[in-house]
Amino acid sequence: MTARASKDVVLRCEDIAVAYGDVQALHPTSLAFEQGKIHVLVGQNGAGKTSLARVLAGIIQPAGGRFWIRGVEARETNVQLVRALGLDIVHQRFTLPPNFTVAEALELVSARKYAGAFYSHRRLAASWLGELQQAEMSVSPNARIRDLPIETIQSLEIIRALAGQAQFLILDEPTALLSPGGVENLFSRLRQLRNAGVTLLLILHKLREVLAVADTISVLRAGRLVLPPSDIAAVSEQQLSDLIIGEGATGEAHAEATSKRMARDSKAVNLALANVSTRQSEAEPALAALSLEVEAGEILGIAGVEGNGQRSLVNLLTGLMPAQGGALRLLGRDVTKLKHHQRRSIGLRVVPFDRIAEGASLSLPLWENVAIWKAERFRRSRFAPLRIGAMKAAAEKALDQFNVQYESLEQPAASLSGGNMQRLILARELADSPPVVIAAQPTRGLDFRATQYVWGALRRLKHDGASIILVSSDLDELINLSDRITVMRGGRLVAEFAPPFEIKGIGDSMIGAMR
Amino acid sequence: MSRWIRSGIRVVAPIAAAFILGFVLFASAGYDIGEVINGLWQGALAAPGSAEQSLRWAIPLSVISFGIVITLRTGEFNIGAQGQILLGGFGAVSVALLLPDWSPYLVIPLALLFGIIFGALWSAIAGFLKVWFNADEVINTLMLNFIAALLIQWVTTGPLKDDATRGETASTPRVDQTFRLSDGAGVSIELIAIVLIAAALAWIIIERSPFGLKSKLVGSSPRVAAWQGLQIKRIHITTYLLTGAFAGLAGALEVLGPSARLVTGATPTLGFTAIVVAIVGTLRVPGALLAALFFGGLQAAILYLPIVSRLPSSGLRIIEGLVALLITAQFVWLRRRHNRRREL
Amino acid sequence: MEQFVVTTIRLSAPLIFAGLGGLFSVRAGVFHIGIEGLMLAGAFVTVGFGSATGSVWLGIAGAIAVNMLLSFVYWLLIDRFKADMIITGLGLTTLCVGGSAFLMNALFNKRGSMTSAVRLPQPVVGPQEGLLAYVSELSLLAWLLPIFVFIVWLILRRSRLGLQIAAVGEYPYAAEAAGVDISRTKLVAMLVTGLCCALAGAELSVGGLAAFSENMTNGRGFIALAAILFGSLEPIRTTLAGLFFGLANAVGINSQIYGGESNIPRQFILMIPFVATMVFVTLRGALSQRRISPGG
Repeated sequence: MTARASKDVVLRCEDIAVAYGDVQALHPTSLAFEQGKIHVLVGQNGAGKTSLARVLAGIIQPAGGRFWIRGVEARETNVQLVRALGLDIVHQRFTLPPNFTVAEALELVSARKYAGAFYSHRRLAASWLGELQQAEMSVSPNARIRDLPIETIQSLEIIRALAGQAQFLILDEPTALLSPGGVENLFSRLRQLRNAGVTLLLILHKLREVLAVADTISVLRAGRLVLPPSDIAAVSEQQLSDLIIGEGATGEAHAEATSKRMARDSKAVNLALANVSTRQSEAEPALAALSLEVEAGEILGIAGVEGNGQRSLVNLLTGLMPAQGGALRLLGRDVTKLKHHQRRSIGLRVVPFDRIAEGASLSLPLWENVAIWKAERFRRSRFAPLRIGAMKAAAEKALDQFNVQYESLEQPAASLSGGNMQRLILARELADSPPVVIAAQPTRGLDFRATQYVWGALRRLKHDGASIILVSSDLDELINLSDRITVMRGGRLVAEFAPPFEIKGIGDSMIGAMR
Repeated sequence: MSRWIRSGIRVVAPIAAAFILGFVLFASAGYDIGEVINGLWQGALAAPGSAEQSLRWAIPLSVISFGIVITLRTGEFNIGAQGQILLGGFGAVSVALLLPDWSPYLVIPLALLFGIIFGALWSAIAGFLKVWFNADEVINTLMLNFIAALLIQWVTTGPLKDDATRGETASTPRVDQTFRLSDGAGVSIELIAIVLIAAALAWIIIERSPFGLKSKLVGSSPRVAAWQGLQIKRIHITTYLLTGAFAGLAGALEVLGPSARLVTGATPTLGFTAIVVAIVGTLRVPGALLAALFFGGLQAAILYLPIVSRLPSSGLRIIEGLVALLITAQFVWLRRRHNRRREL
Repeated sequence: MEQFVVTTIRLSAPLIFAGLGGLFSVRAGVFHIGIEGLMLAGAFVTVGFGSATGSVWLGIAGAIAVNMLLSFVYWLLIDRFKADMIITGLGLTTLCVGGSAFLMNALFNKRGSMTSAVRLPQPVVGPQEGLLAYVSELSLLAWLLPIFVFIVWLILRRSRLGLQIAAVGEYPYAAEAAGVDISRTKLVAMLVTGLCCALAGAELSVGGLAAFSENMTNGRGFIALAAILFGSLEPIRTTLAGLFFGLANAVGINSQIYGGESNIPRQFILMIPFVATMVFVTLRGALSQRRISPGG
């Protein structure tokens, strides 16, 4: 770093790296941010953006490297210390307790304390009302956080940080839950802050938003900095899109996918959604009048930046979330009102998003993880005891069929590696060749071999005539496997692509870039 | 095999620690430990009639604990066994007192059945409130215990009052001698047979029924269970019914067995001890049976000790409390070993 | 009538001390089912240590010390050793039931019950007869109850510590983001619970009767826990719930004494608090369910 740069550089990192276990989330990265600007950091899911932000905010310990805030090195991983140096972060998940009043919540979470050990309700409210008014917010300090709209809570998070004298403010995906109008308001507020001398670092996904607000832009891809902070005017939209998505897709995959879809029109529709909507969930926008069809022997890829409604879609398809209007048909039957277990008995299977929290019970033995859900099949009559031997044999057969490596059927699922655990889930869900499968992020966090295995299993299933919906944030995966790809953004299906897939077009559509 | 050893250590270590701590306390209070140990031995096994006494307490403890094993496996904290026992006793005693002229071959099964039904329904109140309204089951079962105790107090001082009794020991009249399953000592072939049948049923429900396996999955990770289409609400309700059914059966056995009537404030600690029995038995039926014998022995010794040594019966309550205090703690050295194992 | 009011206060006071004490733990996310035991320990140590030293204040100080030690052990087990909160709490209660009876026997050679050589002063002496005759039965602690309630309210609802405790219990993520040490805050809350339960026990044992008997709390700790939930985890409402429970108890006792006036058996009057708590907990559960998952 040169002496000139250090003068108005407010944050400087040297070789910051982050690792979770064996996974290198962020390779050694050095970069510096100038004061008084809106810096934007972009990248796909898993590019390492949030990891970097969490290191800077003093939340996680870096695997290596150092960083300086306004020339002072942050020597330990400590939220308070980093705050004292003038850096604060607004997380994706809000930190204000829902049952607190605005004033109480701000007083608790902000580094700025108006009260001493004891406080008077009225005076606390008056003090924070001052802060609120200064930020031109009309919310009452006595309102409960839980009653406020998301936009307001987010603004409060920013006030919370600024009241603590933050000079450098990181916002992690601040637009994820905002309406378009809310995004515009946020941006104008951020510009005001910049003009007042605050330095901002935004983590964003959508290119249009980046272009609307950024002074400089940096790009992370697969844990590496592929574009250091650069003036936004110096980079074209086209270049940015290429940097974010990367060049990964192979022509071979296209050809393969095309060849498999030849006789498409003659096949039956196994799964159909017609004009189905849902309510908004905690973390995702509502689904609005969604329609889609999947035929036998077809893989429909659902692309999209995470948090754009994919989870709601899977919950809706599986019956874990009710539909608000519209109809859902499974193998020709109307299943809109049916529960998950009823849809399963018709032939639906699902590979859930999160292997550990949703896919397998860590404390239960392998065979139970595979066979419990269909335990009723292993008894001779309604009141006969279960034939545990038969259950174990069936589980063993399924586990072997999917090449799960294990020592004993009795070992707990926690003893399996990630790839093996995913194979166990596939063994449970796919062993009886189901006609309809929802696969949600089936290869997330898996190494190359395990990924190849999962892909192979899904392809085989398709060849056997199954309809598969593949939800993934990995474009390579989607392009490799899908017969069609639909892009989801803001709870809607915004574009559909047919092979040969154009990776840039899909990427642009995911992040909302114009072309 | 090492899994068994490890879970054995996890059970034996806290019990041993509880006894050691208790003995240290007794010694420092001036009691002769040798005398206490001898008293324990005599009270639980060696003295005439004491083994019978141990068995007499192991009978209700084991039956109640089967139900608690089921509820704890499903991850529901139904701590209302105390009330469910009383309701079970109430159901059984009502049948026996209302049909004094019927044949015992009809009345006894009917009384047991009513005990089971009363206990199950009492428990299901908390279950339905939990499943339908997300009402906390710990506080509700606790409240139901109090309500049950008052209800029984009213029954024994009002509608089913025995005029010869009053106050703390107010009770219903005695059930007809022909309806009884044992004498006052509380051990008989009939009772043991019923316990063994209950154990076999509990074992089949827990280890050999879809409900049993599914409830284990629901208890260990409800989200995983939901993603596999398990009907969690139905499993929860079934759990509450079964827990109450076993406790109700135990209450009926008390009434038809040793006590022959329903007494105000009867067996106030049985429900709690049964929870400890279930946990010490590692939430398995054979384990619960063994643990019930152990704690039955302790209960017998509690009643016996004051007679032979000067140690008051409350001394052994201390040990029981210490066991409950320590039994669920995951002490660091065990945890570390466990983790290391996982890495290998 | 006056006697009735005084009886209500005397029955409520231990519930309020224990309830407000337990409130610290419950607000910090610890469903403290051991307060029954802590109350009993408080009652015993006050009588035992007070009788031994001849000072009721030393007795109460000893009770506070013992309860804090027990609370620390409980914290150690559930926070550090990840023991189950409910089972361990029940164990704590059993330990105190056994321990108090055992020590009474071992140290004072008494079985069943013992009289206390000391008692709390009864600062207000009413007239011998007439309307205010029963006021003199109220102990100093009972008179101090309003101040106690105010202090608890001040700490829980108007202090930084109170905010931190609430955040730890309600939304630990916020507490973490605010740099609050979750474990330590829980410890502080649980120690305060221990202290208050010592006062509750003292009021119970040396407030009026000046005696200790085996298991003399007889479920009052659990009732205090119910009062906390019935009071929506809020200090003033918990106090009112405690008064309500005391009132129901007084009505039940009175109907026993002056029986015959009504046909309702007293047991059903005594049930009211428990049924009310269940109804209330259920309503709250239903409401919170609706809030968390709209349409779920």
